[in-house]
Amino acid sequence: MTAAGVGRPVPELTPAQAGGSGGSGRAGLAGRAGLAGSAGLRLVRLHAASRRALTCLLVLVTCAAALRTALHWLPHTGVLSRQIPLTIEAGAAAVIGATTRSPFGEPERATGRWLPWLRLALPVALTGGAVGALAAGSASAHLAYGSIGLLRDVAGFTGLALLAAAVLGGALSWIGPIAYLGVTLPGLTGHWATPWVWPARPPHDRGAAICATLVFAAGVAVITLRGARDSTRE
Amino acid sequence: MTAATAPVTAPRSWRVPSAAGPARLLRVELRRSPMLWLLPVLAAAFYVSTYHPAMDNPPFWNIRSGMLQSHTMLVFAPLLAGVGAWVGSRDGRRGLADLVGATAVPRWAGQLATWAAATIWAEALYLGCVGVLYGVTADEGPWGGPLWWPVAVGAATVAASCAVGFAAGELLPGRFTAALAALVVFLALAGGAFAIQDDATYAQIWPLNVQGPFPSDSYGIFYPYLPDLALAQVMFLAGLAAAALGALGWPAGAGGRWLRGAAAAVTVAGLAAAGTGTALAGTARVEANGMVIPALHNAASDRPTPYTPVCGRGAVPVCLQPAYRADLPEVTAALGPLLSQLAGLPGAPVRVTQVAVTSVHPAPSNGIAFGPPVIRGRPAVLDLPLSGLTLPGEGNTPAASFISSLRQQYGPVIVNELVGLPADTVTIGMNPVVGNDDHAAQFAVAQALERGLNGPSLIRSIPPGARAGGPVAGASTRGASPSSAQLQAAVNRFAALPEGARHAWLATHLTALRAGRVTLSEIP
Repeated sequence: MTAAGVGRPVPELTPAQAGGSGGSGRAGLAGRAGLAGSAGLRLVRLHAASRRALTCLLVLVTCAAALRTALHWLPHTGVLSRQIPLTIEAGAAAVIGATTRSPFGEPERATGRWLPWLRLALPVALTGGAVGALAAGSASAHLAYGSIGLLRDVAGFTGLALLAAAVLGGALSWIGPIAYLGVTLPGLTGHWATPWVWPARPPHDRGAAICATLVFAAGVAVITLRGARDSTRE
Repeated sequence: MTAATAPVTAPRSWRVPSAAGPARLLRVELRRSPMLWLLPVLAAAFYVSTYHPAMDNPPFWNIRSGMLQSHTMLVFAPLLAGVGAWVGSRDGRRGLADLVGATAVPRWAGQLATWAAATIWAEALYLGCVGVLYGVTADEGPWGGPLWWPVAVGAATVAASCAVGFAAGELLPGRFTAALAALVVFLALAGGAFAIQDDATYAQIWPLNVQGPFPSDSYGIFYPYLPDLALAQVMFLAGLAAAALGALGWPAGAGGRWLRGAAAAVTVAGLAAAGTGTALAGTARVEANGMVIPALHNAASDRPTPYTPVCGRGAVPVCLQPAYRADLPEVTAALGPLLSQLAGLPGAPVRVTQVAVTSVHPAPSNGIAFGPPVIRGRPAVLDLPLSGLTLPGEGNTPAASFISSLRQQYGPVIVNELVGLPADTVTIGMNPVVGNDDHAAQFAVAQALERGLNGPSLIRSIPPGARAGGPVAGASTRGASPSSAQLQAAVNRFAALPEGARHAWLATHLTALRAGRVTLSEIP
């Protein structure tokens, strides 16, 4: 969104629709509901645009294509069969984390009544999109640990990205999943037993799934309630 | 005073030397570099990825030095590339590119100052981490000294990661640039691992590759650390950094004509260095003491490092390189019982001497195969390599596990070599060499001796001529081949003998047994 578009009136805002003058009460109610719906959609669209959600989706599609290409060449077993898909999953999560950064800062916080819901919806939707895109990218190819492992790992990485966004800011949120990935990759060969290193655990490991889910839930909760850390030096 | 009356030239004291601008800018950038905020994250990542695993290993300089290159850089390189991109995209994100382009300091010099500040902090942290790890290691009193070439490659990787990320941030400023730069570097490292495992020749340049397929405990002790591969890697990484930074000086706004010409020259030189390093790495080959690049190899590195071995006591003394002093009791406990059984026999070793390797063969998928222990010389000496074995304390390996592993792995090899069987006859199962009565006797004696070491065991490999149902007609020049029952009976008989009687029989018959002149029935 540019500054030029900010002052433009909402096209749906007509007196009839607003129910401000004339018309029956029922029509006014319907008009108000319709207005609320369209305004809500517009709010969602503007919020997504301000977070570069479309670019994020394009990057996720690119990640899916990269995963598909990698799976064509990768061996079906061994460390590399896990390492490269995990890297792509962490990259997808890092990109989702970058969308949490707000270009408006304090004014948006002060005036955005629906902001927490928008902050909840966007990362959850993008995470779903990432899982869907990567699952589609790995369809008809052998993905070590399968779609369940993919879901668990993407969710966990995204949770880390959201937590890092709350601490470091949206622009530096990628540090969370990337640092975690670097630390846990040796665990793929080391047979680490702790469920907190979920990428190194089998897909049906309940403890690992719980840990990844907890991290994702914590990340979403923090981002919903507090949002990404704003930096005046942005 | 009006502007019209103001002096045209600035007072002399206000003039700034040409080099002072970038230096002052560097000082400013050092104070406000975002890299400062990442240092705690990097330090924590170093602790988890390198320090903690290093402390899980015995204090060998080669093991811990290798980790500083492979483990540390796996985490540092993507993070530094990301932060480099973040730093590089700063002016673009804030819409200040035009503004800073019009300052007194040329744009390219300003960019280099920004990159240098971030890199200085990263290098300072990396070298600090190296200092901590080496300090703790030195405190544990290992033999030898720290290896600096892996540290040099690590430092070059730090600079190159920052440079590549910085260039990406400058060229494509945006909120996703830093994340994508980190991702791309991670994928590049993973791709390098894939290429090296696929035996791609030029993949040896991979910055996390310490000494090709050599395990980290197999170099730098008996011979000096071979720096050939590290030299090529430093050349490649420095070239990569120079090319990335030089490319920033090409645009018209980067500076004057001379400066842009210099930037172009730096880029070309960087690309040439990177290409040369990669080409040199492509010529690397596996030698006994590490990776050798003929064009970079210094023959002085082939001279063994002098040392005074530490020896244990026993019928057959075991002598180890002093770096392995702490492992002497375990090695003696593993091989002592066998060696005492063999002591005094013709051709039996009178001493065990640790060697770096007995032979080295490259294996597929960037693998390596080390030769087994070898009995050589007169009087016979057993050359014992420990490279590639999991030592006590390595990855929390208990001493009992090491003793058992060494005994099971090397005991049969030593026995087989003594009785004249191929070294891998017992351990790998069926072997076509054991195809007649002559080898059957050797096999039975070896099995009986091995049983004394490892406890009762069924015959794991049966000579091809031997069949459970009975002899195979015409299978041997000395009559029918023995059945597995006959073989087992011979093993049982010989194993049941008192140790003294066994030793006496071997002292008398070992030469004939080795020559294949003893049959199964002649075994007492």
